[in-house]
Amino acid sequence: MAHNYRNDVAIDWCPGCGDFGIVSALTQALGELNLDPNDVIAVSGIGCSGKTPHYLNIAGVHTLHGRAIPYATGVKLANPNLNVLVTGGDGDLMSIGAGHFVAEGRRNTGLTVILYDNAVYGLTKGQAAPTLALGEQTKSLPRPNMFSKVNPIALALTSGYTFVARGFTSDIKQLKEIIKKGMQHEGSALIDVLQPCPTYNNINTMDWYRNRVYKLEDEDSWDPIVTEDNVSSLQEKFTKAYNKGLEWDEKIPTGVFFDNRTVPPFTKRLEKNLPEYFSNPPSSQVIASPDGKTLVDPVETFRDRVIQ
Amino acid sequence: MSKVDISLTIGGPQGGGIDTSSNMVSRAFAYAGYNVFSVREYHSNIKGRHSYTHMRVKQERPRSLRYPLDVLVALDSDTIFEHIEDVGENTKIIYDSSFEGSELSKARMITNDTAGRIRKTLEANGYSPDVTGSIKYMKDRGGIPIAIPFSKIVTSVVKEGTPSRYYNTLGSAITLAISGIDREFAEKAIRIIFASKEKVVPSNIDVVGAAYEFVEENKLNGIHLEKRESKERLLITGNDGSAIGKIMGGLRFQTYYPITPASDESTIIEEHENIKWLSEEHSKLAKGGIVVVQTEDELAAITMAIGAALTGVRSSTATSGPGFSLMAEAISFAGMDEVPLVVTLYQRGGPSTGLPTRNGQSDLLFALNTGHGEFPRIVLSSGDVEECVYDAIKALNYAQRYQLPVIHLIDKNLANTLDMVPNIDVDKVGVQNGVRVEENADFKRYSLDNEDGVSPMGVFGKNIFWMTGDEHDEQGHVTEDTEIRDRMMEKRFKKIKTAEKEIPLEERVELLGSKDADVTFVTWGSQKGPILDVIDDLAEEGIKANLLYLKMFEPFPTNFVRDVLTKARRVVNVESNMLGQASRVIEQHTGFEIKDSILKYNGRHMTEDEILRAVKNLIGAKEHMVVLQNGA
Ligand SMILES: Cc1ncc(C[n+]2csc(CCOP(=O)(O)OP(=O)(O)O)c2C)c(N)n1
Ligand code: SF4
Ligand SMILES: [Mg+2]
Repeated sequence: MAHNYRNDVAIDWCPGCGDFGIVSALTQALGELNLDPNDVIAVSGIGCSGKTPHYLNIAGVHTLHGRAIPYATGVKLANPNLNVLVTGGDGDLMSIGAGHFVAEGRRNTGLTVILYDNAVYGLTKGQAAPTLALGEQTKSLPRPNMFSKVNPIALALTSGYTFVARGFTSDIKQLKEIIKKGMQHEGSALIDVLQPCPTYNNINTMDWYRNRVYKLEDEDSWDPIVTEDNVSSLQEKFTKAYNKGLEWDEKIPTGVFFDNRTVPPFTKRLEKNLPEYFSNPPSSQVIASPDGKTLVDPVETFRDRVIQ
Repeated sequence: MSKVDISLTIGGPQGGGIDTSSNMVSRAFAYAGYNVFSVREYHSNIKGRHSYTHMRVKQERPRSLRYPLDVLVALDSDTIFEHIEDVGENTKIIYDSSFEGSELSKARMITNDTAGRIRKTLEANGYSPDVTGSIKYMKDRGGIPIAIPFSKIVTSVVKEGTPSRYYNTLGSAITLAISGIDREFAEKAIRIIFASKEKVVPSNIDVVGAAYEFVEENKLNGIHLEKRESKERLLITGNDGSAIGKIMGGLRFQTYYPITPASDESTIIEEHENIKWLSEEHSKLAKGGIVVVQTEDELAAITMAIGAALTGVRSSTATSGPGFSLMAEAISFAGMDEVPLVVTLYQRGGPSTGLPTRNGQSDLLFALNTGHGEFPRIVLSSGDVEECVYDAIKALNYAQRYQLPVIHLIDKNLANTLDMVPNIDVDKVGVQNGVRVEENADFKRYSLDNEDGVSPMGVFGKNIFWMTGDEHDEQGHVTEDTEIRDRMMEKRFKKIKTAEKEIPLEERVELLGSKDADVTFVTWGSQKGPILDVIDDLAEEGIKANLLYLKMFEPFPTNFVRDVLTKARRVVNVESNMLGQASRVIEQHTGFEIKDSILKYNGRHMTEDEILRAVKNLIGAKEHMVVLQNGA
């Protein structure tokens, strides 16, 4: 019988929250990918978005505000055979966890990072998030936002994410396909999800987005994929992706911006030093004899420290 | 043969090869069958500032260092200035004759405050503030200056390159020659140390030869130290010890962000990730290797280690004060979520950046209280390099058994101390796994059904379960239910009661020395060795002393400590901090207030002689607290 990726835990998001669309797209994507449910792990930070793992019928951990990426990286590096999802808010990933977001691009561990982009701090009652534009005043701000916004697509591209995409919570079908592609991508993926927060963001509403979004894949010539065979197009495709990433106020592109398959993920870089890394990863190594003794010969391992 | 007990210091500019000197001298003495113990003191600086090694050589294993020195080797003039107070009757002072006349005011790498202090000492006693005056100062206090033409000796055998690059080899070889160590051992040390840089071996061997000939010609050699029978030994630091223990104890995932004096441990693990197995059969079981990750910061270091731990691997991170401060929130998470995690906390002088390369024991109270909220943890401490090995294994075992954060304290003084460990007993500490679930059906990660508070663990990749830093139900989902909250809090703390019952008392505290004593020392960490030496010194003077040696602060061995202290005649607490942190912990648990203390917070290692002087002052009841000041 097909595994049901949605468990029976009651969801406590506000009615009309875009987060519901993400859970739908995610559970559908997981169902279609036909993975062993034991092999998929959800890791979140803190925020409304952070609650996601509790609603999925896979193992998950709801960690600390901003730290979902390093937790997830730890899971993935200890067991590279797992598929590790990160579900995080824009405050979580772009502000308190921004350093990890950048570092993950450099590592390219192979995480699928889903950014719940609502431009506000939902769970702390609507303060400005890093994706809210300068001068905007959403409902609960006492005065207009004094910070410029960060651009998740541009930041992901320049940090080194090898798969960069954007979805919209009201287009579950497209989002599902993007999530599937992101999970199948070997390196790290950033999926920026336009997620209306009806409770606190009265500017970037569902309708506001609907009037602006268009799909990159609808442009016939759009081809974001870089492989070893067309690696000479890398710079051109990166620049195109970047320029698309800058589009915003009038028209907002969704779909896959960049899909570079030529950068080895961190796990493969590790394999160079540890040849049996994938077949015998840290998580499954035998570390003691049946009677509970060490297997390691300390003196031979540290021969360079021995005085004879 | 008479008792050998040599104290020596080799000093020079940071980056000038003091580590190589220390290694060479230690090895040569070791090849001759002697035991060496040495501390490295250095500035937070890459090139130029005063750096030295302080060592002691004995037939048996030395446990401490002491002043005055028997030999002071100065590879630069700063060393002469910095150590004028460390010489005494018959200290040989080996230095480059070209230093003669160098002025203290031109010593650019000595900070103004230190230079001012040295100048005051020299001038107040009528000596000129330069090398000549300093040498005379030391000579008048019993020192024997031996000026050596460094450049001339080196250039007599090495025709190419900068002669000063060989000064560390020369100074070390002269030290060995004067101490009566056979030349072959000095040469052997060179061959081993430069094994990976073979090109420089012949020239260094030539310099060794020239040094030995110089000592011979000028009749500088006194006694000859005969070769003694000795077994194979490891020459390791506390950083090495902890790395060895972790590898033996099954650690397969380590994270770190560079920081002194912790990061060496991680690079040492990485260098030795190619493990050698006890048997062929084991090697088949266990291949795969250790993942060591340098992270973007300490927030990532600890959370990545936690993430890894959720897959079942034994995982840890190592840091020191500033990094540990950043880890506080995640330690609280590991407590709340019952994650088996080891944090090796290397202590240096705080607060803030403090004394980044110097010793300190000022993080004990922090380690006991890191993180918000109330949760169980285990805090243990090592007192010598050998203990670092076994404690690292134990820490990993405790983490698995009780599913909580284990904080292993190692002071800088152990981290960078070279000690000779005769043998690592592979059977002394086992590698025990915690309780795991096999079946996934209805698995409750935080099951409340277990008397001991320990719920069988599942792992990512095998079991489906949830975790959250919020208060949670048995399944791991968020709850604010009042009854579950109470039961979860109580369950988590039950584990510490279980640990208290299960962990043998001798792993937590020891009373070392005779039961009946006039003086009972209390200490933890690296003062253990020096105090044991002081106890022997006092015995020679007819004073009976013993040591209440603390190893585990949580769970605290309250009854044992209270029992010893209430029966003791005079209790003296010894710590490398200002507040007497362990004595505060003792008072909190036992109500016993320790009146006499010997404290040191200048960041330098405690030496046998200064503890001995201090305790005599306390016994003489002149004072209740002595602050120690030795060290350059
Ligand atoms: C270290 C820390 N600081 C602050 C908070 C309080 N906090 C909880 S959620 C949140 C913001 C969440 O915003 P976002 O990441 O955008 O998630 P959203 O709720 O919008 O999905 C903050 C600041 C916290 N939990 N931890
Ligand atoms: S506050 Fe906003 S983001 Fe949070 S649940 Fe409500 S609608 Fe969704
Ligand atoms: Mg948000």
